[in-house]
Amino acid sequence: MPYSAEISRSNPTCFLFLIDQSGSMADAVPNSPSRRKADALADAINRLIQNLVIRCAKEEGVRDYFHAGVIGYGTAVGPAFSGALSGKELVAISEIGNMPARIEDRTRKIDDGAGGIAEQAIRLPIWFDPVAGGGTPMCQALALAKDVIQRWIAQHPSSFPPVVIQITDGESTDGDPSNAMRSLKELSTQDGNILLFNIHISSDPGATPIAFPDSPAQLPNAPARILFEGSSVLTAFMRSIANAQHGLNLSDGARGFVLNGDMVLVVQALDIGTRPSNLR
Amino acid sequence: MRVSAQAFWAPKLGNQVSEYEDAFAPRPQVVGKVWDTCRFAIADGATETSFSGIWAKQLVRALCRGALDGSRFSEGLHAARERWSRLVGCRPLPWYAEEKIRSGAFAAIAGLTLADSDQSKDQGTWEVTAFGDSCVFQIREDRIISAFPFEQSGNFNNSPVLLGSTPMKDGSEPTELPIRCGIWRKGDNFYLMTDAIACWFLKELEAGKTPASELFRLSGGTKGSFEPWLSGLRGSCAVRNDDVTILKVEIEKD
Repeated sequence: MPYSAEISRSNPTCFLFLIDQSGSMADAVPNSPSRRKADALADAINRLIQNLVIRCAKEEGVRDYFHAGVIGYGTAVGPAFSGALSGKELVAISEIGNMPARIEDRTRKIDDGAGGIAEQAIRLPIWFDPVAGGGTPMCQALALAKDVIQRWIAQHPSSFPPVVIQITDGESTDGDPSNAMRSLKELSTQDGNILLFNIHISSDPGATPIAFPDSPAQLPNAPARILFEGSSVLTAFMRSIANAQHGLNLSDGARGFVLNGDMVLVVQALDIGTRPSNLR
Repeated sequence: MRVSAQAFWAPKLGNQVSEYEDAFAPRPQVVGKVWDTCRFAIADGATETSFSGIWAKQLVRALCRGALDGSRFSEGLHAARERWSRLVGCRPLPWYAEEKIRSGAFAAIAGLTLADSDQSKDQGTWEVTAFGDSCVFQIREDRIISAFPFEQSGNFNNSPVLLGSTPMKDGSEPTELPIRCGIWRKGDNFYLMTDAIACWFLKELEAGKTPASELFRLSGGTKGSFEPWLSGLRGSCAVRNDDVTILKVEIEKD
């Protein structure tokens, strides 16, 4: 049965994030005019990486259940980690945990236990910095992702299939990405084909978000349908996480695709996409 | 009543013994000990949380001391949490370990209390309690007499309710543990099992087999039958690769 491989230190899986760093990512997040999409997305990715590290953290340190990488595409296409991991494509999660570029002091709002909200000081490790410039060379990014994943699979042929999550706010500027997505999705381990998510962020507060559709029927235009067709069907475990922990009601054919997502939806999709199965 | 008890346990295949995150009590093997009342407990620390083995140990300790009984539950749980916090917070930790402690450790638990109020009779009372997917089975001559909290293998899923080392804010925290009571007879066996092996046990029953006879034959130690038996079950995928704990409690016949 596909997507049933155990995820363990001897049989890890991998997550690769493809991040749109085009000029339009300098536009504001819908309903938050003072915040750039690039900044909000960098925060979301840093928190996600932080959560991945924490999920693998045990008493003795971080267990290498995952390898992870970030590819940015805009003015240039390439690995997008900052700091000591700069230039690296896929990195073991223990190395990521021990090598943030820096740790920033932030605050977060928490329930004060008396019906109010209190601010709590937290330390947020930073691995990925916001960038916004240039076009949207999605085809190049997908081709690089294929190359990176192909090499990883050669070393981990029986692993749970890698999950690739692309986050973009626009249309490809270097051609139709359909073939590049199809070609990437054809890669497989003995446990199944790789899983590709496409998360589209909108700049338009009036745009209607569509999350995890099972058909293209309600999609408004051809670029949205291209991203839908390029997205993988969610695994049963991912659907169970989406339904049980995010209060969704996804059908069997639901795809890893979000259109016109706000940051809440982006974070939700990232969580669902990075929950392939229980860890050992 | 004269009671013997023995635990059979193993970490996940591929893991070190030090990475075993279940717990059981009492720890030493019990051989033909005479009691009026005795308690046994197991706990299954959740893999995705940190320091869950330490949390599992605090819970079996509390269960065996009766600290989680009835209306004492909240107070006993609070004391176990304080103990866990002291144990895990006593040394400097990297950022991810600190964050993990903040989100807490989680575990499933199951406990068994046997009482023998009238020693002139060949029977007494039992009480079992459980929270999560660790189970207790009462067996009489290969027949299952009771199962708690799960009676079907379909009851197991990937997201069991668990007891946390930090208070749960989603309203899922119980104010008392659920219990079930019954009558034991001399010769009965009780098995406390963590989820992977308990699920196997119920599946075997549902397939019309007699898994109790397999359990009854188990022996421990390096030359015992437990390790090769479990390896066989794991190898055939009959048992999911998880920490496994079976605490066998036998009420001996005269």
